Amino acid sequence: MKAEDTELLKEFTPEQVAKLDSIIEKYKGKAGGLIPVLEEAQVCLEYLPLPVQKKIAQGLNLPLSRVYGVVTFYSFFTMTPRGKHTIRVCLGTACYVRGGKAIAEALEKQFNIREGETTEDRMFTLESVRCLGACGLGPVVVVDEDVHGRVKPGKLKDILSQYN
Amino acid sequence: MKVFRSHILICGGTGCQASGSLGVKNALLEEIVKRKLADEIKVVETGCNGFCALGPIMVIYPEGIIYISLKPADIPELVEEHLIKGRIVEKLLYREPGTDKAIPTMQDIPFFAHQELRVLKNRGLIDPEKIEEYIARDGYAGMAKALTEMTPEQIVQEMLDSGLRGRGGAGFPTGLKWKFAAQSKGDVKYVLCNADEGDPGAFMDRSVLEADPHAVLEGMVIAAKAIGSHSGYIYCRAEYPLAIHRLNVAISQAKEAGLLGKDILGTGFDFDLEIYQGAGAFVCGEETALMTSIEGKRGMPRPRPPFPAVAGLWQKPSILNNVETLANVGQIILRGAKWHASVGTEKSKGTKVFALTGDVNNVGLVEVPMGTTLGTIVYDIGGGIPKGKKFKAAQLGGPSGGCIPVQHLNAPVDYEKVAELGAIMGSGGLIVMNEDKCAVDMARFFMDFCQDESCGKCTPCREGTKRMLDILTGITKGKGKAGDIELLEEMAGVIKNAALCGLGQTAPNPVLSTLRYFRKEYEEHIFEHRCRATVCSAMYKSPCQHTCPIEMDIPSYIALVREGRFEDAYKILLQTNPFPSVCGRVCDHKCQTKCRRGNMDEPLAIKFLKRFITDNAPRPKTDPVAVTRKEKIAVVGAGPAGLTAARDLALRGYKVTVFEELSYAGGMLRWGIPAYRLPRNILQGEIDDITALGVEIRLNTRVGRDVSFAQLEKDFDYVYLATGAHKSQKMRVPGEDLGNVFGGVEFLRDFNDSEEKWLKGEKTLGKKVAVIGGGNSAIDAARVALRLGSDVTILYRRLRQDMPAAEEEIKAAEEEGIKIEYLVAPLKIDGAKDKVKSITCQRMKLGDFDASGRKKPVPIEGAEFTLNVDAIVAAIGQVPDMSFIDKTVGVEVNKWDCYTVGKGFKSRTTNPRYFAGGDAETGPDTVIAAIGAGHQAADDIDAAIRAANNEPAYVKPAREEILVPLVIDEETAEAPQMPMPEMHAATRKMSFAEVELGFTREDAIKEACRCLRCDAAV
Amino acid sequence: MAKLTIDDLKKIKEKVHKEMSLRDGDRRVRITVHMGTCGIASGAKEVMDTLLEEIEAAKVNDVIVTTSGCMGLCSREPLVTVEVVNQDPIKYEYVNPNKMRQIFKRHVLAGEVQTPFVLAKGSEVIK
Repeated sequence: MKAEDTELLKEFTPEQVAKLDSIIEKYKGKAGGLIPVLEEAQVCLEYLPLPVQKKIAQGLNLPLSRVYGVVTFYSFFTMTPRGKHTIRVCLGTACYVRGGKAIAEALEKQFNIREGETTEDRMFTLESVRCLGACGLGPVVVVDEDVHGRVKPGKLKDILSQYN
Repeated sequence: MKVFRSHILICGGTGCQASGSLGVKNALLEEIVKRKLADEIKVVETGCNGFCALGPIMVIYPEGIIYISLKPADIPELVEEHLIKGRIVEKLLYREPGTDKAIPTMQDIPFFAHQELRVLKNRGLIDPEKIEEYIARDGYAGMAKALTEMTPEQIVQEMLDSGLRGRGGAGFPTGLKWKFAAQSKGDVKYVLCNADEGDPGAFMDRSVLEADPHAVLEGMVIAAKAIGSHSGYIYCRAEYPLAIHRLNVAISQAKEAGLLGKDILGTGFDFDLEIYQGAGAFVCGEETALMTSIEGKRGMPRPRPPFPAVAGLWQKPSILNNVETLANVGQIILRGAKWHASVGTEKSKGTKVFALTGDVNNVGLVEVPMGTTLGTIVYDIGGGIPKGKKFKAAQLGGPSGGCIPVQHLNAPVDYEKVAELGAIMGSGGLIVMNEDKCAVDMARFFMDFCQDESCGKCTPCREGTKRMLDILTGITKGKGKAGDIELLEEMAGVIKNAALCGLGQTAPNPVLSTLRYFRKEYEEHIFEHRCRATVCSAMYKSPCQHTCPIEMDIPSYIALVREGRFEDAYKILLQTNPFPSVCGRVCDHKCQTKCRRGNMDEPLAIKFLKRFITDNAPRPKTDPVAVTRKEKIAVVGAGPAGLTAARDLALRGYKVTVFEELSYAGGMLRWGIPAYRLPRNILQGEIDDITALGVEIRLNTRVGRDVSFAQLEKDFDYVYLATGAHKSQKMRVPGEDLGNVFGGVEFLRDFNDSEEKWLKGEKTLGKKVAVIGGGNSAIDAARVALRLGSDVTILYRRLRQDMPAAEEEIKAAEEEGIKIEYLVAPLKIDGAKDKVKSITCQRMKLGDFDASGRKKPVPIEGAEFTLNVDAIVAAIGQVPDMSFIDKTVGVEVNKWDCYTVGKGFKSRTTNPRYFAGGDAETGPDTVIAAIGAGHQAADDIDAAIRAANNEPAYVKPAREEILVPLVIDEETAEAPQMPMPEMHAATRKMSFAEVELGFTREDAIKEACRCLRCDAAV
Repeated sequence: MAKLTIDDLKKIKEKVHKEMSLRDGDRRVRITVHMGTCGIASGAKEVMDTLLEEIEAAKVNDVIVTTSGCMGLCSREPLVTVEVVNQDPIKYEYVNPNKMRQIFKRHVLAGEVQTPFVLAKGSEVIK
């Protein structure tokens, strides 16, 4: 165990840290490798706090500013921990036209959180997305990998009760 | 070769999977094993079939029967019936919206029938994870030809000749792009595929990648050969996991088969590619930003030149093509440039795939030749707008595009025409918007998107979109101010010119486009705080109230019905409406079209509840109002507009005299609407209340004949002209002046005037009657004729759904046995001078769209027929009769025979002492619009008087405080509208008794409980 | 899969195309096996299996096979209808695997109606 990992181990398991090492190793020296590393790291660690970014910067031999810049640029990356489940409300045009806004508002009210935030019990993270390409089913809500189509505010409770 | 007697193709696209197609597939496989059919029947999971809204979808071959909206529970029956017994399962078939006709085969469903599948030729037909199935349908044959028989120059030439233009949005000629890259010197070049389809509402690329991933790979290899590249990337957005999965499968299969990698097909050509997952930034769809992103940096665009063809990815020559473009390439090489150019328009060749979404019946993916009209896409393929709503506009090109409104439904959709109309082709997202969408809110939505996605590199985009968004948000919140529109236009110009990349340069487009077509809506938001679509909720209490022309307090009276407080409810009605029991019967209830409950199940029966209140509560007593003002006012015409103005003015202390030519007051309510819809005593009750205030009505007095204008001007200070539209429009066919040919309103007026004679048979129409027209008057005339014992046929030149008459009226006429012939127009009328004998009509068919969004009827030459009739009623429209007006008075009348309102006024005519309103000013309109006009005139006349007297403006006296309870149900269960009890058709056609019987107390309270209380400020 | 050559590509195309031809348009012959409860009870399933084997062996792709429910002639099941394009449909009665093979080889492939087994021609009942 390396000394610089101490900080990481406060948040993550040794297995996760080891996996991060192997991800970095896989892309080391490869041009344009930073974004795939971040993508895989986030899948493994669920979020990318500064210590993780520092480690990736060192591993890929990049300035931290470059890593931080990329993490904050792309909406896929997050620096805060996430809920057990992610609820993504589609606010693409087709869903918006079919009532996606009302769905997002109902969820914000129900959980008392805003878009991008996580519930206190870390069960749900609420996000909005721009078009999932499932426009035929609008309005669409995606919970983790499950797409729920033709959602009405009244049906949200039923949908979310499946996740715990 | 294993033979199966049947192949079942089940759609496994994202849309269908989300609707549960995997569950259906598993149930099917299970059932097939259970019924021991596994050796006879093959199940194939395909990519997106395009008919996403009705998924999960299954097509059974060889018959080609398509089943829709399947659930696992449907499977046992489907297997038993279709696969074992060979019987089609009717209830799982597609039903045509409108006619409800079941259509069993795919090619007969209009959605598919109008499409021309080229890019999507394999959709729903092959298993996208089996390379053999792709090869079996000519897959990789174009690549083989390019690698073995063609030089790079020939490939480029073929592409140039084909006229293929980039399908990602800009429409740059693909061949030219390749030519530039081919000419660039360099040993390393890149072929890139843009699959970062971030445009909201667009899912063409996702579908192609899911349904036919090899087509994209094939296109990339050909491109590689053309420009001399050996390495490529597909930049695919991470939001498309299934597309990425299918691409990965396709790439590994192709590599294994030697169709990718080293020495492809043994030709010595090498090309390898990998997938690069985007991390969620819309701007990365821009080509230079995309390349920066692959390089592992923040995906910001860079200035061009240098163009990517010279210095692209890692500064090497690169080409970037979108998914749909690349999917075209293999077939172009295989079948030749000519084949590709054989469809399309002069400058836009081939087909285009559109993601058709929004307010349209058949949501899905459609491929049509370039130049197909917008109307064909929306109506013939898309099946029109759900719930009978009106088409407002189609939005093309997403946040970079614009909208095409109803008057351009005939526009051929190609790059040039779309640009000319102020939109862009874009990648093919086509979002249909109905009348309930607000133009300003849509502009705000797209600006919010662009602002959010602006990468921040250049100031015009970063700051400009922010400022524009602030202004738009202000307007939608009712905080707009004069000058906002001009400021938006100015900023739009600056951003367009100064932004670094396409995102910024096109960001103002949705604003400019909505301003071009819907500027009036912006003005209404800013100056009147009105959102006609009832979207911008900050400006109103509830959508129903905001939509009502006299803004009746609907949520309040419905809440009071729920509480059983009917008298209080009645008081609320009378606050704004002098004719609530009339409107409870004959209002066209625009409020209900915007009722939010309608989005859930059906709108509230607002009209019926209004009637219930007036039927069941005692009418609040009216006391005379003392005349406190010296000015005297004359009202000409005792219809709803005139009487409303008279009442309002009397309430303000004016002495008002109403002049009416006919023997009863009420105008069209008395003379046009038959008693079975509006009993006379009900109307008279409301008129009596107005006279009880002190208003004098002089019947049988025609102004201009019985009272001269000079006299009028002597006796009165101001005159309100509300003379209505009581003259039928002419059909302009020969024989129109023969005996027993009536105008609609003339017939109804005569009947209502001499009812006894008609009922006794002293006046008669005869046995067979033809009524021409499709509006409410036509239906009224037909139902009256039927009640007089005639056999009635209505002749209408368009289709039923185009009839302006209220749906419930048409239905009632049909139930009573009136025949309606659609798509016929009168040609001539024959007979003797005193009596008509026959009418000859021409059959019509539907042609192009007119400005109202309905298809125009055009004659079918030679298709004529003659009906023998004893009478004809022509009810094709009304116009005001202006023959009474004295020219010297100085009240101008326009070319439609309506009063001209002075510039900058709402009701004042060209003579400042004369005001006008109602049908005689607007042309034929509704009762509620006439009441609204009456209110307006009263306000204007009173204001003119006070201004002339230097008095302060009128302040409305405080209304009686009626506490309205707020009860909102936690859970709302779906429940349809309470139906109105009616007299049976067989009984009612024998008399003029009222057809609709009214709600019971229980019905009414139950219906009132359905209200969602949109007025509640939570 | 081994690395393909251009020839392989063509071969795959031909082979798989035949298999997939069911999903295309026109066909020369349509064979209906009547599979009501009665038909299945009297052996329609075996007849179907035989028919599919025969088609596979003969490598034809212009024949489609469908099923239908009981025709109301339960006593004469299994029943099979052969419809060659532009000819009257022929209904065969008491079909078993052997008869099916013969009907397929002689009628479907060679065009000779197997009169001894025929129940009806077009709408006219022969027996």
